[in-house]
Amino acid sequence: MQKQRRLKVIAASVVLLCGMVLLVMVGIKRTSVRHFTPAALMADGNIMNNQQVQVDGLIAEGSSKWDAANFNLTFAVRDRETPATVNVIYKDRLKPDNFTDGGSVFVEGKYDATQNLIVASKLMTKCASKYEGAESATPANETSYISQ
Amino acid sequence: MTAEIGQAAIFLSVLSGLWAIGFLCIGLRTRNQNAIRSGRNAVIATFILISIATGALIYGFVTDDFSMRYVVEVSSAAQPLLYKITALWGRMSGSLLFWLWLLTVAGAIVVWQNHRYEKETNDTLSDYALIPIAVVQLFFIFLVTGLIEGVYNPLARFPNGQMAPDGAGMNPLLQTPSMAFHPPTLYIGWIALTVPFAFAVGALASGRVSSVWILRSRRWTLFSWIVLTIGITLGGNWAYRELGWGGYWAWDPVENASFMPWLLCTAYLHSVMIQEKRNMLKLWNILLITLAFQFTLLGTFITRSGIISSVHAFAQSDIGGYFLGFILTSTAGVIGLIIYRWKRLKSINRLESLLSRESAFVLNNWLLVGLTLIILWGTLWPIISEAINGEKSSVPEAFFNQVVIIPGLLLLFLTGAGPIISWKKITANNFQRMFLLPVVIGLVAGVLTWGFLAFVKGETSPLYSILCVSVSTFVIVAIFAEFYRGAKLRAKRQETSLLNGLNLLIQRNKRRYGGYIIHIGIVILYIGIMGSKGYFLLESKGLRIGESMEVGEFQLTMKDSFAKEFENYRRTGVVFDVAKNGRQIGTMEPARHFYYKAGQGEQETIESAIRHFGVNDFYIALGSIPFDVKTGGVVNVQVYYNPLISVVWIGVAVMVLGGIVAIAEKSEQNKDS
Repeated sequence: MQKQRRLKVIAASVVLLCGMVLLVMVGIKRTSVRHFTPAALMADGNIMNNQQVQVDGLIAEGSSKWDAANFNLTFAVRDRETPATVNVIYKDRLKPDNFTDGGSVFVEGKYDATQNLIVASKLMTKCASKYEGAESATPANETSYISQ
Repeated sequence: MTAEIGQAAIFLSVLSGLWAIGFLCIGLRTRNQNAIRSGRNAVIATFILISIATGALIYGFVTDDFSMRYVVEVSSAAQPLLYKITALWGRMSGSLLFWLWLLTVAGAIVVWQNHRYEKETNDTLSDYALIPIAVVQLFFIFLVTGLIEGVYNPLARFPNGQMAPDGAGMNPLLQTPSMAFHPPTLYIGWIALTVPFAFAVGALASGRVSSVWILRSRRWTLFSWIVLTIGITLGGNWAYRELGWGGYWAWDPVENASFMPWLLCTAYLHSVMIQEKRNMLKLWNILLITLAFQFTLLGTFITRSGIISSVHAFAQSDIGGYFLGFILTSTAGVIGLIIYRWKRLKSINRLESLLSRESAFVLNNWLLVGLTLIILWGTLWPIISEAINGEKSSVPEAFFNQVVIIPGLLLLFLTGAGPIISWKKITANNFQRMFLLPVVIGLVAGVLTWGFLAFVKGETSPLYSILCVSVSTFVIVAIFAEFYRGAKLRAKRQETSLLNGLNLLIQRNKRRYGGYIIHIGIVILYIGIMGSKGYFLLESKGLRIGESMEVGEFQLTMKDSFAKEFENYRRTGVVFDVAKNGRQIGTMEPARHFYYKAGQGEQETIESAIRHFGVNDFYIALGSIPFDVKTGGVVNVQVYYNPLISVVWIGVAVMVLGGIVAIAEKSEQNKDS
């Protein structure tokens, strides 16, 4: 009796544990998005065609166009180290604050390798801070990424 | 001069911290009352010294002392007094000092409470608990001394007598009342959690691993839970009103960091009841409160070390390494103590049935801890994925939203089932008496909702919405029936009215019924989340003055624009006429603020306009307003319709109310039966 009860408890725990692990695995598989630099994305272009990607880089100088009437933002993300750029189109959302040439930008969306274009669903900017580099001490409660 | 006094106080507190640890250890080991007393006094001394340091920094803010580096970074002469003071926790150095100060307050309160116990009994448990508190304090003192790289002493001045003409000013996004109080509320909650952890360690060290340490720190735990609940909600509320994206929770690493200790604290509040009632789960409770405490530090590690990039973008520093080191060594210490006390931690009782209140508690714990680990996994996924296959990946909000549904609904079910299932083993009688009615009504509610949505509204709702309604109804009926049965019994016994009976019932067992009120709050919260996350509308459009747009049943016409100068910012915006189904109901004025002095230079913020319609919100955010707006320039308008959003805030308010009822019960009394 005692043994059987213990077996039941263990069985229930195992089921629960497996359920949780399964939940996480399926969730990760379904939603996980790979992170790239523009150069790395272009190099992996064929594999990543039509996939969700995240790209982190700088807003290429002079590349951005904002069509306010149609809520249409286009620009290019420049690699931090190489000249590689990836084009981005961001539609139907507000243009993020602090969106300036040369500023840091983080883009998430679907990559079209044939056009080297990301149709972005998420865009975050970080202002090119005057303090950066000059400061060893660092901002704490500072919301410098503005999510849109 | 004040800054120098403050700095001296910080360095002296290193000594008082060491003094406290040393003398308490020696005193408790040799049963030397004088040494113990001296150790206690050292804890008080640390409190006084850190208060002086904190006071000196506040003095620097108030007097605009721009020779102090920290003051220059977060304050400016034009900053309103309130925000000069809240600048204390505006950046890392200051927030560490503030955290430390709160810790010393907690230490002093424990000494004071201890004083009362000592008079009654010859009890050393609280003195044992002071040691871990002093150790954690010492860690934070070390961080603010300025001796480690990357974190300067918050009271430090610029070298060579340099002085800035004015401060940089605090980020304007943070200059709102809810942001002023959101961080300190979370800090207080986290710090309060240090106390039950310290009592757990004290129990292990002293060998008194009965339920005394739990009872003694019960109010601290509950206080922490209440304050964390408020703090997390203030953060969500701030994000909702200030950031202009129409939401209140985005599973950002920093949000997760505040949420995980809350989940563990919730688990712990439940599992201790099993130990008190059935003398089980002794080891588990110690592990759980250790985990909860470590997660408060882990949150700091995650957000400050720069290993995860976050919307909050706390800047990176070496401090993460110190936190990780402290987490690992202190956990190792606790594990060592557990091994040392292994024999005393064994439970005598075991689960008798899978369908019993004990099992419900255990399942609740499994789910809450499981949920914490799932959220941790998702938060750390960028690191984990890189370690596994060298590809850096991360998971979006959608991951969290998906994975929490099943455990979330099971937990919701337990908020109703837990209180009504019988101890030891469920019986047919218990099921029939307690479960039958709520289950039937819950099922009926589910079917009706499905039918209403499918046939009347012609919508197909996702299954989990229907389940949420169904389970919520079950819980509400179950809990209200509990209240009703109890109140009726009391009323009958005392020959008084039902309402009086209810009052008596709650008065007699505040802990239990306070808990049930929290459960009701949880149900309300779930309904609010379901509505606002699952059924919101979003429309974006570029509008010229005179043009209109439609969102659901609402029509918006952009009537005019305005611009206004304030002392440290310029406000520009537009005026909307809002109509519902063609009938005019008012105007809304969303705007943008352009701050001239804003931490990192100039900054623009969205000042959304929010209008409540019952529990639903209408929410307008604006893009930049062009200079030619009066002559045909296009303004970008983003409009959200957020159903049931106020229900979220109401749910939390009910939870907090329940918490307050529960905390009112004195720890010594334990009438839960």
